[in-house]
Amino acid sequence: MNVVVKSKLAGLILAFSIIFFGLESSYSILLFLVVMLSIGIPHGSVDHIIAFINPEARKFDSKLIFYVVYLSLIVFNIILWVISPFLGLLVFLIISCYHFGETQVIGYNTTDNKILNFVIGANILLSLFLNNIVELQEILYILPQFASLDLSAFDSVFFLLVSVAILMLSIVNFEIKRKVPLYAEITILYMVFFHTDLLTSFALYFGFCHSLPMLMLEFKEFKTDSFMKFYFKTLPFTILSIIFGFLLYQFNNDLLTSDNLILFVFIIISSLTLPHVFIMKDFVKDK
Amino acid sequence: MEMLNFIFDAASIAPGDFTGFTFFIGSVSMLAATVWFLMQHGQVDKKFKDSMLVAALITGIAAVHYFYMREQWVLDGSSPTELRYIDWILTVPLMVVEFALLTGVGMRKLFWASVVMLVAGYFGESGVTGMLDAQTWGAISGLAYFWMAYEVGCLSIFGGPSGAVGNALASGSGKIPEAGRMLQWFVLVGWAIYPIGYMAGTDGWYTFVAIDEGAMNIIYNVGDAINKIGFGMAVWYAAKS
Repeated sequence: MNVVVKSKLAGLILAFSIIFFGLESSYSILLFLVVMLSIGIPHGSVDHIIAFINPEARKFDSKLIFYVVYLSLIVFNIILWVISPFLGLLVFLIISCYHFGETQVIGYNTTDNKILNFVIGANILLSLFLNNIVELQEILYILPQFASLDLSAFDSVFFLLVSVAILMLSIVNFEIKRKVPLYAEITILYMVFFHTDLLTSFALYFGFCHSLPMLMLEFKEFKTDSFMKFYFKTLPFTILSIIFGFLLYQFNNDLLTSDNLILFVFIIISSLTLPHVFIMKDFVKDK
Repeated sequence: MEMLNFIFDAASIAPGDFTGFTFFIGSVSMLAATVWFLMQHGQVDKKFKDSMLVAALITGIAAVHYFYMREQWVLDGSSPTELRYIDWILTVPLMVVEFALLTGVGMRKLFWASVVMLVAGYFGESGVTGMLDAQTWGAISGLAYFWMAYEVGCLSIFGGPSGAVGNALASGSGKIPEAGRMLQWFVLVGWAIYPIGYMAGTDGWYTFVAIDEGAMNIIYNVGDAINKIGFGMAVWYAAKS
């Protein structure tokens, strides 16, 4: 069993435990934070090494250029959120769709088909949002277009049905080497999305279907003796990211956070994601 | 604790509550079938591994939902229609996928047919669109079901024509034709309980088949268990050869 499957299996066991034992929604923020700090952020904290270790990687002439480009993208994203939350969200969604889809198809297909990567990622995010749409509406109330949507006529089954139908039609219309297992895995994800709240759903998906498999692939690429040694290498930038988030929170303006901590966390994630996507795009080329 | 209750708490079902008991049996049998299919996954030929995994997924997903359904039934005695739909939305496409896995053809048509069947069925039962009546949506859903039945070769049981999937099943190697025949019977007879439930549960001129809610749930529970576990067993039958 390869590392990607093992990681996803760990997530599946955790997801079933949460569903069966009925985790109180008040704990979902804790689960989210633990997953983000222990797996989510660390999987992107070795980008500065990944960018130079892989012969297929994007070429940077020096570390300095790498950092300048990387940090500029982060700053650009924050400015975008401040100027226009709608655009910030749109950019986040587009790059996330591509990035999540790209890692999701590993093991089922090559990552060469960019449209497939995007469509699969879009399906996953769509389902995550549709199956938790009321919660999402509460978080994104700063977007007037979204806040005024009246969804009272639709029940949760409708949204599940829509996401499954779109997934089915997406899967059959693409050339995928292992179509059925990919469909089956995403079906389980949808069930988890339906039965858990937004934060738990996101933590489970992001942690165990995306970040942990990538972290394990990075560990393999590094060829270090033990996982702990590799994990320690992720710590400096993980800690820096947390400090960055904390400072941003301290010096926020109203638009960035207002009283919505979850939205703020999403802004941080999107800022860290933007440059990470470009590095990972090269990293997964031969996976 | 909830999980432990789920396994040991059959006593909490009121004496004489046969419907509640079938929910319990449904959840436990689906769970047992999941374990069985996963164990068999390691024993079968490589080309059938995905089929066994999908069989385990179907019963696994159903086990989770039967656990919820049983809880709802025991707590307030209401019919868990919403949970059933969630279960069906997730598992019906997976059952359809088994045909594609065994034959390597027809996934596109079968997926389209099941999307139409599920969406039209839901629109009819929920009335969410505000367009057309339940009977019309039911008829559309039924047509998609018959299209699917034709594609997988159900009519060939009686010497009738068959779609590409049915033909591929008939000309398959090993025990695939025999397993295919079992699957065709499941689709033709086993799946017929779903439109019956739809008709019985929908207002309109279908009320002539109205059945007591408890009895309807028993039919669904027994039918679901036979269909889902049976489907997997038929696939396993083909795989073990």
